[in-house]
Amino acid sequence: MSAAAPISRDQGRILFWLAVVLSVLMLAPMAWVLLLSFTENEALSRGTEAAFGGHFTLKNYSDIAGNSGVFRWFLNSLIVAVGQTSGVLIMSSLAGYAFARLEWPGRKVIFVIVLFGLAVPEQAVIIPRHQIFTTLNLHNTYIGLMLPGMSLPFGVFLMTQFFRAIPSEIDEAALLDNASRFRIFWKVLLPLTLPAQATLGIFTFLMAWNDYWWPLISGTDKEMYTLTIGIASSQVNFAQTEGLGFLAAQAVFAAIPVLIVYIIFQRHVVTAVSGGAVK
Amino acid sequence: MSAEIDIRNLTKRYGGLTVLDDISLSIAAGEFVVFLGPSGCGKSTLLRMIAGLEDVDAGEIHLGGDRIDGLAPGKRGVAMVFQSYALYPHMSVRQNMAFGLENVGISKDEIERRCMDAAKVLEIDHLLDRKPQMLSGGQRQRVAIGRAIVKEPKAFLFDEPLSNLDAALRGRTRLELAQLHQRLGATMVFVTHDQIEAMTLADRIVIMHDKKIEQIGAPMEVYQRPATRFVAEFVGSPAMSILPAASVSAGTKGASIEVDGVGTIDSAIPLPEGFNADGASVGIRAEDTRPSDTGLPLTVQVVERLGDRTLLYGRLPNGSDLVAQDLGRTTVQAGDEVRIAVDPSAVHLFDGTGRAFHAPEEA
Ligand SMILES: Nc1ncnc2c1ncn2[C@@H]1O[C@H](COP(=O)(O)OP(=O)(O)OP(=O)(O)O)[C@@H](O)[C@H]1O
Ligand SMILES: [Mg+2]
Repeated sequence: MSAAAPISRDQGRILFWLAVVLSVLMLAPMAWVLLLSFTENEALSRGTEAAFGGHFTLKNYSDIAGNSGVFRWFLNSLIVAVGQTSGVLIMSSLAGYAFARLEWPGRKVIFVIVLFGLAVPEQAVIIPRHQIFTTLNLHNTYIGLMLPGMSLPFGVFLMTQFFRAIPSEIDEAALLDNASRFRIFWKVLLPLTLPAQATLGIFTFLMAWNDYWWPLISGTDKEMYTLTIGIASSQVNFAQTEGLGFLAAQAVFAAIPVLIVYIIFQRHVVTAVSGGAVK
Repeated sequence: MSAEIDIRNLTKRYGGLTVLDDISLSIAAGEFVVFLGPSGCGKSTLLRMIAGLEDVDAGEIHLGGDRIDGLAPGKRGVAMVFQSYALYPHMSVRQNMAFGLENVGISKDEIERRCMDAAKVLEIDHLLDRKPQMLSGGQRQRVAIGRAIVKEPKAFLFDEPLSNLDAALRGRTRLELAQLHQRLGATMVFVTHDQIEAMTLADRIVIMHDKKIEQIGAPMEVYQRPATRFVAEFVGSPAMSILPAASVSAGTKGASIEVDGVGTIDSAIPLPEGFNADGASVGIRAEDTRPSDTGLPLTVQVVERLGDRTLLYGRLPNGSDLVAQDLGRTTVQAGDEVRIAVDPSAVHLFDGTGRAFHAPEEA
């Protein structure tokens, strides 16, 4: 890709307009939701074209405060996403270090087994997992919501590759500097993996925040709903109660943390997606 | 503070592959010793065994009278400078130098004092707060040396520390290393495959080849009186020319060596008792030759003008290559036939096993 021929002016223009069209297509639904969230529910129930017709209100947002479990769900989502992200970072770093730097019997075989995990879809394991969690009484607990996402083969793979890319002479220099194994891990190697941690952290956070299927199965108490489940549940009965504008306001509200995370770590997200290392 | 290193019957294997076989070597306190040898001969492995980065399969290593081969690298009292420098990328220059001192519980004031001292000596005191990425190759190299100096080790270990520098900087740093050695009086072990580094820096050179030490000696000793044919060919540039010897007989001053199709080369080497000429050869350095009216008939193929002298690369009638030397302003051209005389006192004779024989040293 990097060796591709330079783009001519005409090609550049075509690409530009293509990007414009695609951006509009991508952004239109979000703009639509934003618009709905600022429109009166009664007007919308007569027809969604009301969104363009001057029925502006902030009521949908003020309603969030008192009117539903959305704060509770928000908190649940935050706990699960932060917990799951921390878990993934800690375990992936430790496992990555062990696979990349320590000599122990079975290392190669176990690494391959971990990689198999990349190929197993969640659908294939969801029923046994449900059974196990039932037996262990883990449904409707935070641990139950976080645990499956914490075993992330991709995270282990990513961190292993990252640790491997650090020259072993750095470890050796630290050994000669009389640093213990843990000190080398903590003070020398881990700081060098920060770009990978950022990438992995963002992805895990977004994945946990947006996850729908497992919370739907495991968190069945209304108290344990995450935002995605909570909002979906109010969608089912929106005709009788909250209304479309209110639903949209909740969706916007739900997107805020993701947006903040994205804005703060934008640079890392871009490099993560383009597969390069952060300089 | 500097200490002697004593290596006894050291062996190293990787799986079934032996890379060092029964190596013994004594390095005096304050000595500058260079390990020289072709790529893959085990120089780095030997150095890393002293550092504790490779396990010892058999044998012992002593430093300053204490056996160290069982100790962790950080407990041995040695400091190492890596070819890649191996600086900690996320730490400033100061932190890079301080890290090893913090780990052994040296006080903050003392750390600061040592860092400043080393930084001044190495002229990097204005860089102390920079990260390695913001340094040039030469500056990084100094930081790596600084990181070793502050530890005040019993011995310094260098693994090709100059090979990532450009030629000019390499020359300068070489000189500075020599000065540093004089000033610190520390034991230094230096690995290189660059002969010039070896010749200029070393008190003694250890020439390694094929799992073994071929020769240990002062630079000029190794150069003028190589112990084996391998050393003779490896040391010196241009490389020594080697011709097959058909027979060797006692001449007037020393051994007279017959080269088939070329002629007789007279030497001042006393013919060894019962010398076996099977597979024997004769070695000649370019600087010990000159054009003359008689001597070996050489067809010149390439003329290399070095200014002060000229090297003539050519072929003898038997097909052997020979490099001869002429004056800087020679008129010889490629394609010319010349005759080359050889200084008998500088001829080297090798038997079939590669063992070398030389003329007696002049008093
Ligand atoms: N980890 C290892 N596993 C197997 N063989 C190894 C290992 N490390 C080194 N060797 C082998 O040991 C021999 C000596 O290697 P070493 O690195 O000491 O050579 P060297 O003299 O330093 O060469 P160079 O000048 O290229 O640095 C080589 O043949 C190398 O292939
Ligand atoms: Mg080496």
